[in-house]
Formats: sequence, structure tokens, C-alpha cells
Amino acid sequence: MIRVAYAKHSDPGMAVRSCAAALGPGRPEMLLVFCGGKHDPFVVRSALRQAFGPVPVYGGSAAGAVAREGFGYSGFELGIIAFHDPAVTPRCATTRELLPDERAGGAALGMRVAELANADDVVLLFFDSVAQASPLRLHPASVIVDGFHAGFGRRPVCLIGGGLLTDMNLAGGWVFDGEEVVKHAAVALVFPSSVRAETAVMHGCRPVSTFMEITRIDGAEVYELDGRPALTVIERMLGLPLGGSRGHELTLTATLGEKQGDPFAPYDENAYVNRLILRANPETGSVTLFEQDFAHGTRVQIMSRDNSLMLESVRRGVEEINRAVARTDALFGLYIDCAGRGSARSGAPVEEAALVQMGLDPGVPLLGFYSGVEIAPFAEGRSKPLDWTGVLTVLRRRA
Amino acid sequence: MSDGAQDIMIGQLERELAYYRRECNDLGARLLRLQEEQSQTFREARRSRTVAKLIREAYRLADGELTPGEIGTPMLEMIIENALCDGAALLEEDGESFRISHAIGVGVEVPSHPISIPSPPEFFFTTARTPIEPLAYELTSILRLPYVLWAYDKPTGRALILGNRSESNVSRPFEAGDQELIEGALSVYIDIMLRKQAEMELRGAKSAAERASAARARFLATLTHELRTPLNAIVGYSEMMAPGSRYDPSPADRGRYTEMILDAAHYLLKLADGILDYSYLEQVLPSLRPEWLQADKVIANTVAVAAGESRSREVAIAATEVDPALELCIDPVRFRQVLHNLLGNAVKFSPAGSIVEVITACATGGGVTVTVRDTGAGMRPEDIPRALEPFQQLDHNAVRSFGGAGLGLPIAKRLVEAHGGELLIESQPGLGTSATVSLPPARVRLRRED
Repeated sequence: MIRVAYAKHSDPGMAVRSCAAALGPGRPEMLLVFCGGKHDPFVVRSALRQAFGPVPVYGGSAAGAVAREGFGYSGFELGIIAFHDPAVTPRCATTRELLPDERAGGAALGMRVAELANADDVVLLFFDSVAQASPLRLHPASVIVDGFHAGFGRRPVCLIGGGLLTDMNLAGGWVFDGEEVVKHAAVALVFPSSVRAETAVMHGCRPVSTFMEITRIDGAEVYELDGRPALTVIERMLGLPLGGSRGHELTLTATLGEKQGDPFAPYDENAYVNRLILRANPETGSVTLFEQDFAHGTRVQIMSRDNSLMLESVRRGVEEINRAVARTDALFGLYIDCAGRGSARSGAPVEEAALVQMGLDPGVPLLGFYSGVEIAPFAEGRSKPLDWTGVLTVLRRRA
Repeated sequence: MSDGAQDIMIGQLERELAYYRRECNDLGARLLRLQEEQSQTFREARRSRTVAKLIREAYRLADGELTPGEIGTPMLEMIIENALCDGAALLEEDGESFRISHAIGVGVEVPSHPISIPSPPEFFFTTARTPIEPLAYELTSILRLPYVLWAYDKPTGRALILGNRSESNVSRPFEAGDQELIEGALSVYIDIMLRKQAEMELRGAKSAAERASAARARFLATLTHELRTPLNAIVGYSEMMAPGSRYDPSPADRGRYTEMILDAAHYLLKLADGILDYSYLEQVLPSLRPEWLQADKVIANTVAVAAGESRSREVAIAATEVDPALELCIDPVRFRQVLHNLLGNAVKFSPAGSIVEVITACATGGGVTVTVRDTGAGMRPEDIPRALEPFQQLDHNAVRSFGGAGLGLPIAKRLVEAHGGELLIESQPGLGTSATVSLPPARVRLRRED
């Protein structure tokens, strides 16, 4: 049995008590908790201990949460999934070693998960997205996931997850790793082989340029596109100069997308790996991406967010999931939603989370959180980190 | 096809490709800008909708059961939810400075000291370009957040401040256009709070009026009874002794009847005194004239006055020794009245042969307590609050023994409170009663020997 609860209150103790009351009696085997970033995590941890006893708690900060009862990104939300049935309770592996080397941290986690998981098992991965708040440096998901796959080995795994943030401004992040509140950590929840996942990745970007080649790049820093300063190329597209605080606005405006497969095949949102632009750097003429997985020679397109496309994509994705889980023993739905898709940031006239909240089969308990990056199986292959997506996954018992 | 023709064709295809690339990029750029403009327009519209939504949600608080003091936090939660800021606080003007009444947000700590803002502006905001002048420094130090949005309502002395850690909060710094949002939020808060206050005052006044009305009704009923009993005695015995009465009392009976009439008249007089005392209390309290008096003398004099009655009831009064240097800042007449009322009650209800104690002690923190303790009938603890309320005890058998109009304790309580002190009653039926007057440190000093 799995129960889900959601509350919103500026007093973390009150929020926890409210969730505990909604979850009802009985001590769960484990809690998966997503906690609004304005709450003091230590107070929340202590309140959870008081309400539930010595139950292991995994999860961490979230820019907001989504549930049947409501959703929001004020920072005072609290969402809890309580696992009561040992048959569907995941086993957990953790690492606190992201700061010195994200790849090594990811690899260590992958190796621990490999000891717990069978082929094709469902693994939920959550990690602290922010390495350093000022100047801002992220823990790149692409490096962590790459390390994870390296550590895990060649067996297939259904890896789904998200980066944990305290708010939409990327001010911080932290993790509940079963024991404590920690920074620079990642947790992996390995579900029993009897559990399967149905996943839909919802997008919302479309290309607005021809293909361009990255001709100079260093990590996440893209210096040149087709031999010209990357920032100049993007500024020309936008028709406005970027710099100072406006550099931050770029995050909202354009992304760089790499099309997988046949580059000249008709547009398919699922064919693109999008990378958000973290900031523009007028001094170097470069842009900093959220991830480091593009390389010299990668052919990219400038992508525009399209709110109506985003909403269409959500409607389509939710329908797809409803069809997939119909007449199955669904355990719960988890919505990992890029924080930038909230209408306060995207400018969408409708909250796309509301479409998930209302559209997903009412018989499926739902919890979601606003994330920094989303991880999901990509193009029938290994899981990849994705930007500007909503990943809706419903865990169900194997038929 | 000849090589030349092929070259021409390739050249044309290259030109065509370049044309499509250029057009594609131009159209893409236009699409990108349109998309951004649309998002920008929506975000601007969102600000207006935010104000409307905030007002709509906030007014729901007015319908709830929250007190004026309790609406601050839910109001801030709504503001943060709608404005998406890192922290927010409500402030209240307190003389020359401000104090935070409510605050929530990331790492927001409410400063215990008053916040000085010598010239609070009605509206203010900071950005990265705001010069670090005193006002900006004062306002940003409230939430310890560098980017703030401030509104102040001078007539009510209330202010609202929002704060962000980074300037580009959800991609937009605070700006002049945010005035509508913050002033709207503050106005709604003030409106709801004043409405709640008025509602509470009305409820309080209604409840007080109902209590007073009920108490007066009770008082009149019992007072009528209390007046009728001695008056019946006076009229009855007077008629028996009146010329032409069918009774012919003997001289001894006449003497007894006269004594009974006199007792009844004295009782009526005491009743009238008590009622007068209590009804004058409201006028007396503001005109208390406290002065520094030696505690030992005040207590000794009061004990001496009460000694007459106590001797007639064969009750002794024993006062503990008081430090002659101890001085109390009290109204000489009214504080003696307090002690006199307490001693009167203690003596009245003590059995013959018992001792009433008067214990003066220094309290922790620098105050003084004076306790009058008897071993009389006592009363049930649950009756004590009623005994301290005016007009409450006359109709209650268990506490009727306080006698008179039953106003001695209520009068003593009000007078002690007017001195900044407290009157505490402890009692158990059959064991007796302790009445303790506590005076605060400000009313106590030790006289220095010059």
C-alpha cells in the first residue's frame, strides 16, 4: 500500500502534521518527501521523526509540489509518498560525493545500485542540483547520469529522476538521504522487479533555426556556433542585447536543442535533447548551458519555448499514460516537472501541472515536484537528463 | 548534363539553400520574439491578475475565525505565493521605530530590537543600481535580503516588505510597476485587520454588556433579598413596639428588639457603604496618589484598626516582622483599604480562638508580597473567581459568608491592580483562605540610611 499526502503551510511542523493526518495511521516502511525550499529542512526532518518515528526519509528540496489536493511553488509545499507495503518499497543507495567529482559520485551510486537492482528494474534518482549558489554552479545531471551508467554497467535499467532545487531562482538544493539533510548528495530508490514504470516525457520547445555546429565549447560553456560568438548568434535571433541581469532572462527565452536520429526527419518533440541556457556572458561572448554533454561538432538548433506546444504536449502525454495504465494495478504517479514550466516563469496562460493534476486517471495517487532537471529514458535507449520537460511516470505492479 | 550546366545548377541550389536558410532563420527569429513578447505580456498581465487574486483570496480571511493578530501569517503566505519572493514581513509603527509583527521566508529572523526608519517612505524598492544610502540600508537590513519592495501606510502605521536574495527573481527585478501589488496587499491586510478588530471589539462589548446585564439582574435580585431581610426586621420589630400595637412587649423584649433593629440598620449601612465604594471605584482609580511609605508602619496601623473587631470575635492577628527599611510606593488610603478588606474577611470567618496571620515577604525579582492567612471556613477553589467578581457571590450559599455586599474582594482586587500588582486567593473548604497582594519591583525599595 502506498499513500500520498500534500500540504502547504509556512510552519513546517504544521505542514508535516497535516500530511501525517492525511496519511492516516500506521508506520510506513519508508517516506519519499519533497519539501518546499522555504522550509528549514532540519525542522522538517525533526517533525517527520516526531510524526512517523524512526522511518527512513528520502527525497529533498523542491521548488514546489504538485498533488491532487493542490500545487504551487511558494516554497511552503510539502509532498509525501508513504510506502507501507514491503513488496513495493524500494531499496536505497546514496552518495554524498558529488562536490569533488560528479562523475565519480554518479559512478559510485551506479555501482551501489547495481548490487540491488536486476535488469530493467525501475530506479528513481534524485540529486542536489546546486553545487554553489554564488557564483552559480550546478551539479550537471549529464555528468552524474553518465557516471551512474558507467558504475551500473551494461544491464538495462529504467532510470527516472530529477534535480532538487529550493526555488525557481536556483538558489540552492538539499537531499534527505535516509539519515540526514545533506548537500552535494544523490539518492537512488531501487524498486522491486515486480514494479514497472509507464513514462511520458512532455516537451514544449520547437526549433527556430537551421542546424548550427558548435565550433568552440568548454564543458557547459558554448563559445562559438558556426564560427561566430554564440551570444552574438543568439542576440541576433532575439533582436536584443543580452547582458547584466538580462543574461538571466535567456533561460526563459531560448534553448539549444540537439536532434537525435535523422536530422531531416519531420519534427518530433521526442527527438530533441534540449539544453537550457543558464546565463549569457557578454565578456566572453559565450553562453553557459545547464549541462556539459554537448561537444565540439555537435549540431544544434536554437529552440524556442512554445507555451501552447507545451500544453498540447502535456495533454497528449497524460492521455498516453492513462491508456498505458488502464486496467493495471497502478501504485502511484510521480510528476517531475521542470520549474521553468510553471506559469510564473514560462508565461503560460494555464498551469501545465493543473493539466496533469486533472487529467491523470483519478484512481492513481499523484505527487509531483518542480525540479531543476529531469531524467527519463530517451528514444528507447538509456536515460538522459532533459531540460524544459515534464516527466510523468506511473509505477505499477507487473501484470 | 554538361559540367557547366551542372555547376550552374549546383550554384542555383546553393543559392536556394542559402535563401531558405536565411528565411528559416528570419522566420524563426520572428517566432522567437513573438513567443517572448507573448510570454512577457502574459507575465505583465499576471501581475495585475496577481493583485486581483491576492485580494480575492485575502478577503476570505475576513470570513474565518482568525483574530486580528492571527491573520498576519496566512496573509504573508498568500503574498509570497502570489509574488514569488523569498521573504516577507508585516511591520507596525511603535513610536519612533517599527517592530515586526509577522515574518516568514527563507532564513528570515525577526529582530528583537526596534527597527529605526527615521523617514519611512510610502513606497520603495531596491535593485542592483540602488545606491547604498541610509534608507536602502535600513530597509534591506529588515529581512537581511538585498532586494526589497516596501509599502507603508502612514495613517495606520503599518508597513509590508518583500525581499529577494537575487535581483532577477523569477527573471524580473523589482520595479516601479510593483507598487500596485505591494500597496494592494498592504491595503487588504489593513482593511481585514481593522475589520477583524472592530468585529472583536463589537463581540467583546456585546459579551461584556450581556455579562454586565446578567450580573446586574442577579445583583438586583439578591440585593432585594439582602435589603428585605434587615428591613423586615426593622419594620417588624418597630411595629411590635409602636404605640397602639396589639403586642405589649416587656421592657426586656423592647431592649432586645431595639438591639435587633440596630443590628439590621448597621448591616444596611455596611451594605450601602460597600455599594457606594464599588460604584466610586472607577472615579477613584485614576486619582490614586502613590507615595513612598514605610511598609512596617502601614501594616501595623492597619492591623491595629482591625484589632478592635478581631478582639470582639476572639481572633488574634499576628503580623510577621517587616524590615523597617522596606518602603512601598502606594496610595496610603486605598492600600490600607485593601489590607483592611482582606483582614476584615479573614477575621470574620475565623473561628474564635484562631489566629489570622499577616506575612510580608520579598518576592523573587524585587517585588513584595503581603499575605493575609486565616484558618476559617474557606471556599472551593472553583468559587474563587466568582468571589473576585462584583455582584457574583451574594446569591451563592458557599460564599455568602463573605458577608456585606460581597464587594470587599472585588474592590481590593481592583485597587491592587491599580497599583500594578496582583491579588491571588488560595482557599480550601474547612482549611482557610490565603489572600496575597503582590506589588511589582517598581513599587518597592529599601530606604538607604543617610
